[in-house]
Amino acid sequence: MTHRITRKKDLNSMDYLIEVEAPMVAERFQPGNFAVLITVPQGERIPMSIQKAEDGKITMFIKRLGKTSIELDGFEVDDSLDAVIGPMGNPPELKRYGNVVFASDLVCGHAENYALCKALQKIEGNHVISIQTFPSKDDIYPQEELSEAFCDEYYLTTLDGSQGIKGHYTDILKDFLDNGKVDIIFAGGDIPALRDLATLTKPYGVPTIVTVRQIMIDATGMCGSCRVFVDGEMKLTCIDGPMFDAHKLDFEDIINRLAMFKKKESQAMEYYNRKTGAK
Amino acid sequence: MAEMKKIRVPMREQPVENRIRNFDSVPLGYSEDEAMAEAQRCIQCKDPACETKCPVNMKIRKMVERIAEGSFKEAFLIAKEDNPIPAISGRVCPQESQCEGICTMGKKADAINIGKLGAFLGDWAMQNEVTEELHIDKRDKRIAVIGSGPAGISCAIDLRKLGYQVTLLEALHIAGGVLHYGIPAFRLPKDIVDYELSQLQKIGVDIRLNNIVGQNVMLDELRQQFDAIFIGTGAGAPRFLNIEGEALMGVYSANEFLIRINLMKAYDFPEHDTPIVCGNRVGIIGAGNVAMDAARCAVRLGAKDVYILYRRTKKESPAREEELQHALEEGIIFEELVNPTRLLGNKDGWVTGIELTRMKLGEPDRSGRPRPVKIEGSEFTMELDTVVNALGTKPNRLFLDKTPELEVTSWGGIKVNEKLMTNIEGVFAGGDATSGGATVIQALGEGRTAAASIHDYLLGT
Repeated sequence: MTHRITRKKDLNSMDYLIEVEAPMVAERFQPGNFAVLITVPQGERIPMSIQKAEDGKITMFIKRLGKTSIELDGFEVDDSLDAVIGPMGNPPELKRYGNVVFASDLVCGHAENYALCKALQKIEGNHVISIQTFPSKDDIYPQEELSEAFCDEYYLTTLDGSQGIKGHYTDILKDFLDNGKVDIIFAGGDIPALRDLATLTKPYGVPTIVTVRQIMIDATGMCGSCRVFVDGEMKLTCIDGPMFDAHKLDFEDIINRLAMFKKKESQAMEYYNRKTGAK
Repeated sequence: MAEMKKIRVPMREQPVENRIRNFDSVPLGYSEDEAMAEAQRCIQCKDPACETKCPVNMKIRKMVERIAEGSFKEAFLIAKEDNPIPAISGRVCPQESQCEGICTMGKKADAINIGKLGAFLGDWAMQNEVTEELHIDKRDKRIAVIGSGPAGISCAIDLRKLGYQVTLLEALHIAGGVLHYGIPAFRLPKDIVDYELSQLQKIGVDIRLNNIVGQNVMLDELRQQFDAIFIGTGAGAPRFLNIEGEALMGVYSANEFLIRINLMKAYDFPEHDTPIVCGNRVGIIGAGNVAMDAARCAVRLGAKDVYILYRRTKKESPAREEELQHALEEGIIFEELVNPTRLLGNKDGWVTGIELTRMKLGEPDRSGRPRPVKIEGSEFTMELDTVVNALGTKPNRLFLDKTPELEVTSWGGIKVNEKLMTNIEGVFAGGDATSGGATVIQALGEGRTAAASIHDYLLGT
């Protein structure tokens, strides 16, 4: 099975989009599912959010962050990935939620925002509100990759206020919550921001479902590396998640454990740079 | 009996000081002469007990006799009649409690080294490109085998030899199941596993990787596409201790530790991408084969002090004798009669130690081993920077959760009848998915039994 890259483009200076042939994943994809990629035979297995799936291909948003994502950025259209596995994880139920928000502030969250808004908007009775936060004007994705076309209300925010509303999605949500405008919130992206979101929404009793990133290897429930604690009970992000009730999650544990391989990640990056002669 | 014959032909091994720095095989294998000499020690019992103790009833006597004569090809073919992967079972079977444990020679001298002779034959065939000559009559019926570990491999081979169209589905990106992700290369070199899998493909078994039944392929779909199904999904999910501190960094399930190392080759980081963080003082909880594997991996990753933390004593350890011995030679320290009560950490969230309670041995329990009994007030702490929990595994619920129609036991093992058929017509199961965790050879035997049952089922007998 080859996984040929059919489209690739920059979303901003840090993030890029990649579309690959993955018929098995595309055929069964539901919004909220993720894929596991292996770029080269000696590569790691990395979980990746999916923006959309069509015609046997899936599109993912990726940040140039570590060795694998930077290496993958060096791939061009018609190059092939070693493996694209999935769809993985449990998607949320696609049903009538009423006033439903999807908020995101990072690459993976933006992909999920797009996928879920698009699906939820098709369901009668849903009023879909999408909020996307970027650091600054220059970081905003091209219009066609944003969720604006798939929601009833759209809010774009920048942290520095250079475009759209100034602030983070949590700032806007406060008003919505005060006005009793929201029935359920989905969110994805930066984990500390999701923790803040949980703190914000809890007093209002608004269900808040967030996508958790945790370190995975097999992503099939075998290693236990992606364990998180939901109301004190151990769950695995790969097979029980990746979406969990934010009000029950132990965020400190998640944030802590995400740092476990930090040193190794920089070592991998240095080694890759030396090997490829990059600076 | 000549004095010489009392003693086994010694197995050459990598010297300890070398092997603790690499992941290459520790035993170097018998040469042809050594294998013949070892086989010639066999007294060819009239009623070979070794064969009755073998879970797949290999014709050991005849096999050893042929080796003694130097007829290696014949010996190999005899081994293959009952055991499709002698190169693997020879390395991982607990021979001391099976064939070698009951060997007549063993009563007064060293038992015949049946395991290493089996491994020799497998290796010899691989090196000399000797394979069985098969005449496979085509049958149209299609069978899906889920899981490419020992049970799946043996089931797939037998069914393919009978002529069926066999598709082997593997969830991971590399086939072999526990043979690949679980057992380290210093015990079972991966080229041997890859070779055996390539032999499967050679005889026409279709191996499909990244097919996660229950996740991206459903059992129902398979039932529509195939005439029969064998589930050999193993027991690949970790058990956790459920004690305080389990979320600390530096705490691994043995599965994670070994998957990083064996499947993802973290020992070759950064050439391979997947990292592992292993400190200087490593505590392994448990004393079975997996614990020994994890401990010996830690030594090879450069850990200075590696402790086996066990609530019984060495004597009760369920590990293979050879693994235990190798572990001790490699400097692993047995901390006997201790039970973990909590893990200690620092403010950054890294594990710094473990609190243990001293135990003593009491009356035998159901396993026949003395029950460890807690000594009240004996808690003490031990400084550690890495903890690996090797308390065993259980069947993966990813598959079971998505197949509620499949009847399971209270601990999640798939229920089967004496023909290894599950409650679903035409769906069979075996190996660790039904036993909860046994040996490679047990799984291999059940894969074969299931293959025979599937054959009967498809013939309508």
